[in-house]
Amino acid sequence: MDKLDITTDGGKSGNRPAQLSSRHILGIEGMSPIEIRALLDRGSFFADTPTKITNTALQGKTIVNLFYESSTRTRTSFELAAKHLGGSVLNIAVAGSSVKKGETLIDTATTLNAMHPDILVVRHNCSGAAQLLSQHVDASLINAGDGRHEHPTQALLDALTIRRRVGNIAGLSVAICGDIANSRVARSNIHLLTTLGAKVHLVCPPTLLPVGIENMGVNVFTNMEDGIADADIIMMLRLQTERAAGTETPSQREYFNLFGLNKHKLMRAAPNALIMHPGPMNRGVEIDSETADDVEKSLIRIQVEMGVAARMACLEAVSSRIG
Amino acid sequence: MKITRFYNATLVDPSQSINGIGYIDIVDGQILALKLGLPNPNDRLDLKIDCKGSVLAPGIVDMRVQSADPGAEHLESLSILLAAAAKGGITALACLPNTQPVIDEASVIDSLCLRASRIGGPILHVYGAATKNLQGKEMAELGLMAEAGAIGFTNGVTSISNSLTMRRLLAYTQMLDRPFIQHCEDHKLTENGEMNESETATRLGLIGIPSEAEVIILERDLNLLRQVGARYHVAHISTRSGIDAVRRAKLEGLAITADTAPPYFLLNELAVSTYNTACKLSPPLRCEDDRLAVVEGLADGTIDAIASDHMPVDRDAKTQPFGPAQLGASGLDTLLALTLTLVHQGHISLIRAIELLSLAPSTILDIDGGTLTIGASANFIVFRPDSGWIIKGANFVSHSRITPFESFPVQGIVDFTYVNGAQVYPTETLF
Repeated sequence: MDKLDITTDGGKSGNRPAQLSSRHILGIEGMSPIEIRALLDRGSFFADTPTKITNTALQGKTIVNLFYESSTRTRTSFELAAKHLGGSVLNIAVAGSSVKKGETLIDTATTLNAMHPDILVVRHNCSGAAQLLSQHVDASLINAGDGRHEHPTQALLDALTIRRRVGNIAGLSVAICGDIANSRVARSNIHLLTTLGAKVHLVCPPTLLPVGIENMGVNVFTNMEDGIADADIIMMLRLQTERAAGTETPSQREYFNLFGLNKHKLMRAAPNALIMHPGPMNRGVEIDSETADDVEKSLIRIQVEMGVAARMACLEAVSSRIG
Repeated sequence: MKITRFYNATLVDPSQSINGIGYIDIVDGQILALKLGLPNPNDRLDLKIDCKGSVLAPGIVDMRVQSADPGAEHLESLSILLAAAAKGGITALACLPNTQPVIDEASVIDSLCLRASRIGGPILHVYGAATKNLQGKEMAELGLMAEAGAIGFTNGVTSISNSLTMRRLLAYTQMLDRPFIQHCEDHKLTENGEMNESETATRLGLIGIPSEAEVIILERDLNLLRQVGARYHVAHISTRSGIDAVRRAKLEGLAITADTAPPYFLLNELAVSTYNTACKLSPPLRCEDDRLAVVEGLADGTIDAIASDHMPVDRDAKTQPFGPAQLGASGLDTLLALTLTLVHQGHISLIRAIELLSLAPSTILDIDGGTLTIGASANFIVFRPDSGWIIKGANFVSHSRITPFESFPVQGIVDFTYVNGAQVYPTETLF
């Protein structure tokens, strides 16, 4: 009975904290389908529960947000999630901190560790930074994005968004489009979606396609219309504008022409196809405004909303393993 | 005129195709006698050393070492470098010119060699910088440096990107009859690269370094060699395509040689998969097929030599995320034992291992060493090839304790290192 609950989408496992095999959440790669489903079930439970009566899983606990890269939605949604669970939140923005004075990542970690936080939420511009930090602190660590590597809570909130709108992820056809090479969101989503049994297409210019990615259970397309054909979900990725200035791709104009999402291209996707974007969007580069703001098709605002619920599930899961 | 005899040893000397139990006598820094079999117990000698169970071979000539001294002595002083070499069984080493100041003029060579000779121990040789300040632009004073004793020329850890500059350098080194040592890397192709380009890099979110970067420069240089003719040496070769190119060039008769280093025949890119910065090297650890090609190249003679590729690195510079972590690792303490792994695994014979470590590099660089011939300088080592130990960076003589082989089990322990007939390891104190 127990087993059935946690292996079935939308089962009763949402009534209790998700159980994880690790005390950290460093990435989706290596997580079992059972762990992912448990987090999604719990996230769904939090999304349905009015925030005022949520539990006190983090009461008396300190959560430190350590962000080496600027972030609006991820940081605030972690902060909200922690507060909903009764935790105390400390935000450390790197600008104006000792990091700017040349302190190394490990020294900062050691200093923070001496203050005995319970959970450290870290974003860093280097791949592997979260794993490195986890080896030097006693706190549980949640990776809020490390370089090009992973952004696990983004993939979880994306999956939560899909599940609440469409239902089961298994069997869905998902197209991830844009700058795959430099995207941690793409990697985490590929791991999560393939682990839960979705069919994943990648669409990107060959210059932004990382070597060997086809071995990660995905099909690769350089023609967008072929790549999104019959897709149920289209995930657009942000293209850093400097990459569309003649280095990786010739120009923003050309990029939009070949890889930007508009009404016309969308006609190739499944009739009820939904659109996602992790934000912040470059309107007119990877997506046009008309498509992005289509209330019928765009899940972009729900993604932000689900961010808090998904992160509550993550914070609670790692805190249930503290002490 | 003190005569010392080392007997009961397995003498291994590829220069004379000797591999058997025997003895050598040394006097005045030279080899006086070498014979297979048991010595006459009535011979009058000053000192007799029983080497039962050990191998006696020419000392290792390490043709690729980076010295932090001058410029970053806090990482590793010259005397520590030489002490680590002595313990590693290295009797001569060749130092890259990327010190501070750069070894790009004769006076720097003079001063470094003079300091090393005052310290004693293994013999320090020096490569001259191919270009001024290693910028890859203007030729350095190769002729004056050759007169001052530069044994070859190289741009250190970078390739010469400009083909015209490269052609001129080859022509000049040809005139001076010194080898040109190239680190083959197309730097534009590897820009911002963090590890070998592969699925592993993609999974880790690290920027890939394409393996073609090696063969692109190598093939260009081979084309220039056909025009100019010169002695060309490929340093730390690490890719199958590069090794294939060297094999073809040798068949063609070009004067080309190559070395590699232990990480490239013992490890592959998967060693990086935990973001282990000790495995961040240049060239990067490659895929398994490349590693196998390096082993094949060592066995079939395409690759001539094995060098330590020693580079002193600060621990702080490695305790970083993978991207900003510094390149390089220590290598002197582990060179012999890691090379013997190839022997224990059955890929090469012991005599071939000694050829790779000793005879070949001294031949390529045209320097003393690599032989136990009567009359040669007594530069040799005595080691137990089967004695096992676990590599622990913390126990290195080298001040740089970073190794990609931490906790690696190996076999091969040096008992004695002799340079010009003098015991330089073990000694009571460091030099």
